[in-house]
Amino acid sequence: MKSIRFPRSPKVILGLCIVGFFVLLTIFGPYLAPYSPDNTSFAPNLTPSAHHWFGTTSLGQDIFSQTLVGARATIVVALIAGLVATLLSMVVGIAAGYVGGFTDDGLSMLSNVFLAIPGLPLLIVIDSYLPVNSRSNSLVIGLVISLTGWAWGARVIRAQTMSLRNRDFVEAARIIGEKRYRVMFFEVAPNLLPILASSLLFTVLYSIGAYVTLAYIGLTSTSVWNWGTMLFWAQGNNAPLSGEWYWFVPPGICIALVGTGLALLNFGIDEFINPRLRAAGLSAKQRRSLGLPRRQRLGLTPVVHSASQRPSTPAIASNTVST
Amino acid sequence: MDETRTKNRILDLRNFSVDYGWGDGAVRAVDNVTMHVDRSTVVGIAGESGSGKSTLIYGFTRLLRAPGVIAGGEALFNLSDASASEGNFINLVTATESEMRRVRWSNISIVLQSALSALNPVLRVRAQFDQVLKTHRPHMSKSQRRDRTIELLALVGLNEDRLRRYPHELSGGQRQRVMIALALTLNPSLVVMDEPTTALDVVTQREIIGKLAELRSQFGFAMIFITHDLSLLVELADEIVVMYAGTVVERAPAQTLYDSPRHPYTLGLLSSFPPMHGARTELTGIPGSPPDLSDMPGGCRFHPRCPYAMERCARETPPLAQVTNESRSVACWLHAGDEDAAVPVELRRVGVERHPPLGAENAEGET
Amino acid sequence: MKVDEVGTAQLQARHLTRLFTTRTPGRLFNANRIVRAVDDVSLDLVAGEVVAVVGESGSGKSVLARMLARIVRPTSGDVILQGVHIARRTKRTLDYSSQVQLVLQDPFASMNPVHRIRHNLERPLLIHGAKKTDVERLAQAALTRVSLEPPGRFLDRYPHELSGGQLQRVSIARALCVEPKVLLADEPISMLDVSVRLGVLNLLRGLCDDDQLAILYITHDIASARYIADEVIVMYAGQVVEQSRGSVLVDQPTHPYTRLLIASVPNHSDPPSASPSSNEQIQTAIAEEGCRFAPRCASVMDRCRVEAPPQFVVGENHTSRCWLYADCPPLEVEVTLSKHLREGDTTKT
Repeated sequence: MKSIRFPRSPKVILGLCIVGFFVLLTIFGPYLAPYSPDNTSFAPNLTPSAHHWFGTTSLGQDIFSQTLVGARATIVVALIAGLVATLLSMVVGIAAGYVGGFTDDGLSMLSNVFLAIPGLPLLIVIDSYLPVNSRSNSLVIGLVISLTGWAWGARVIRAQTMSLRNRDFVEAARIIGEKRYRVMFFEVAPNLLPILASSLLFTVLYSIGAYVTLAYIGLTSTSVWNWGTMLFWAQGNNAPLSGEWYWFVPPGICIALVGTGLALLNFGIDEFINPRLRAAGLSAKQRRSLGLPRRQRLGLTPVVHSASQRPSTPAIASNTVST
Repeated sequence: MDETRTKNRILDLRNFSVDYGWGDGAVRAVDNVTMHVDRSTVVGIAGESGSGKSTLIYGFTRLLRAPGVIAGGEALFNLSDASASEGNFINLVTATESEMRRVRWSNISIVLQSALSALNPVLRVRAQFDQVLKTHRPHMSKSQRRDRTIELLALVGLNEDRLRRYPHELSGGQRQRVMIALALTLNPSLVVMDEPTTALDVVTQREIIGKLAELRSQFGFAMIFITHDLSLLVELADEIVVMYAGTVVERAPAQTLYDSPRHPYTLGLLSSFPPMHGARTELTGIPGSPPDLSDMPGGCRFHPRCPYAMERCARETPPLAQVTNESRSVACWLHAGDEDAAVPVELRRVGVERHPPLGAENAEGET
Repeated sequence: MKVDEVGTAQLQARHLTRLFTTRTPGRLFNANRIVRAVDDVSLDLVAGEVVAVVGESGSGKSVLARMLARIVRPTSGDVILQGVHIARRTKRTLDYSSQVQLVLQDPFASMNPVHRIRHNLERPLLIHGAKKTDVERLAQAALTRVSLEPPGRFLDRYPHELSGGQLQRVSIARALCVEPKVLLADEPISMLDVSVRLGVLNLLRGLCDDDQLAILYITHDIASARYIADEVIVMYAGQVVEQSRGSVLVDQPTHPYTRLLIASVPNHSDPPSASPSSNEQIQTAIAEEGCRFAPRCASVMDRCRVEAPPQFVVGENHTSRCWLYADCPPLEVEVTLSKHLREGDTTKT
């Protein structure tokens, strides 16, 4: 789209920082880890210390290293699932909304079915049919999760496409002889960008939850370290009951932080779409310095008394001063 | 200002300015507009998109939404009625929210271009009137309200059976009639109309305009009528204000303005409507396009499009000054001197046939 | 007839009809009602001529244009392109769209906001087989043709950076860059600023005179039709009610509806008055039976309420669908058609 504006809202900047931090962790985490996550040579149940920042497990593994290494698998799977699910929902949503008729009926039925089936049980069923060795494969797990996460986005995109379908520029593209798929994916789709971005954020968020849950119940390969398997082992060794909080809190906080970061980023998309939010987004301090009331009231246009205001000139020669 | 004029003045805008945005990002949409409306007169504001005509009226009624702000000036509104011996003015720019609420609708009412979006879609016509009457005339009983509503609908030529209709069940013209009836509910002294007929067909437009003229002479409210169609204003308005790029460029009695425009932009606007009579000759309109508010040309804002532009026009902004010996004002350097000789033939005084053949026949027929 | 002097008809419509089914809310049941959006309309678009169709909203003029552009399928009737009959049931071909182009009313809505002007001009060129290397030059030439100069300045702009008048010119350039023979313009000036309208009208007239385009100009503004057109057609409720060469129809209107339309144009010489039909009950009514205009007509007769009038030839190249002219001969479309068809055939063989 247009040149990217740098976001000004503190919410969005905070979101960007958090997500950026975890992206770096995904890339460099395994290299930064001081020990191998599988290394059981340390004393068990150590509380956090300078040697073991997050302590050790009851098997004697370094929790800090596990958290760092686990970031990669968690986020990679979530990204794969989010991207695939968004792509699926885009194709299904645009096709249903633009083509209409039987195509719409069929695709809507399909997405309704996927919406109606509870995601997690379906996930568990599909996952249990997977060959055991493929459960360690991020791509396979990502695809399975995306299968349960696309339907909601497809419905939103379908609705939006239906309102775009009747816009004149779509008709204009048809008049010049554009093929249907070109109209759908080169004329309509770019206009859905904000919704697609928002949808991507939420499916990634959903996928993290789904993946961690699968791992926590032990349905993914326990040989791959991610935040869910950490929770699986912590639960399996009664960490919450025996007071080993340092075992399950770090992965928990990481999951919560990524979620918060993604949600904050979503505010940026809102701000991007809705210019009125941006205009109203002045801080209280900025408002005061401009002489605006503290809150914008509907139905009472504010009056600015800034330095730029000119003194009253005689009525008849009112235009002598130019801006 | 002398006594009688004060008494008869309804609205006085002085150096009124409106900005979009704040601080460095501010764009001036209405710049130092000074104009007034007298009791029972119709003032037409003509201008194209971006001329600031709508911003002006949303500004002084304080209805403009963010990021619009009033950047200066006064908007004095006369609260006293016609029989009062002197005016009782309130400055709408400094008015509080509750004062504004009292003035709106009881003294100033507004008719918008799109009646469909102005009417509440989930309320029947009758309920729309009930809302206004309940708020402003709490003493009225249910049957009194109903009678008043029927009376108002009859005024605008609608039958009683429209009471139970929803806005979407009415045609465009009928909705606009309902809006006008709503605007007249509390007998305001000023009715502001923002392109009320632009979305309508010509035949319907003609009917509404006829109705408005009739109602005005019956009730004597003053009217500000905004449109881009100058010829419509000539029929309806007593005085016409022509706006360009946020400023008033010409102000004159309607017929005078039509017969002998003094500002090149007014002349251009008038010649932009193909005539219905006379020979079919090629007209040129106005070259170029209206300026961008954030990138306003210096000097006279019209000079890049003006066929009569002089070197001075690019440097200095012409003031809106009274034309010698005439009850009209124009903001153009062509008319800065006293002698008419320097002025191009088309822009001279009444009696000179205008160059484009528009209205030539009519002018002959009347004089 | 002038047809002999100027070129052959590029695009012809014969008895074009389009029905829509609408649901009308009833007290108990919703009744399906058939609306004849366009009812038996025939017209010829000739190279080097502008045909103006004047009508209010709901007169079917936009549906007519879309049927001619073949993006709305006619219920019945024929479209004949350069003497070749186009089968109604076939899909619109690329070839057809390169011959007949449609310009839409709202220039802001008809440009995709996320694409640059370049995209809007280069796509039609690429679709219609221009070479990749020529595209830039052709796009620039198209912009020059609609007086957007220098073209390079406009190509990389986004639609929201241009004014309405400029965008409508881009829209016309987009239609022109595939070198069509017929240009259909659906209210091209109604969304534009008053001061730039004439510029666009003059542009259309120029394309017609200089490049021998056949132009259909659809409008609700009868004055602009008089200004630009070689032939004016007035439509009411889907039917042609009056049709004439030049501005005869505006200067000497015969049909009561045309008269009402002309009387409604703002004109300071007639003071505003409530017109005879200001009772809102009959304002929007369209008769199901007899003459469709009868409920609003000032000179309605008994016959009008029962029997639908045909088009009467009231003068040279001037027809009127009104019983007031019952002693004139009725128009027979087929006769004029076969003449055109024969011309088309001879040029083919």
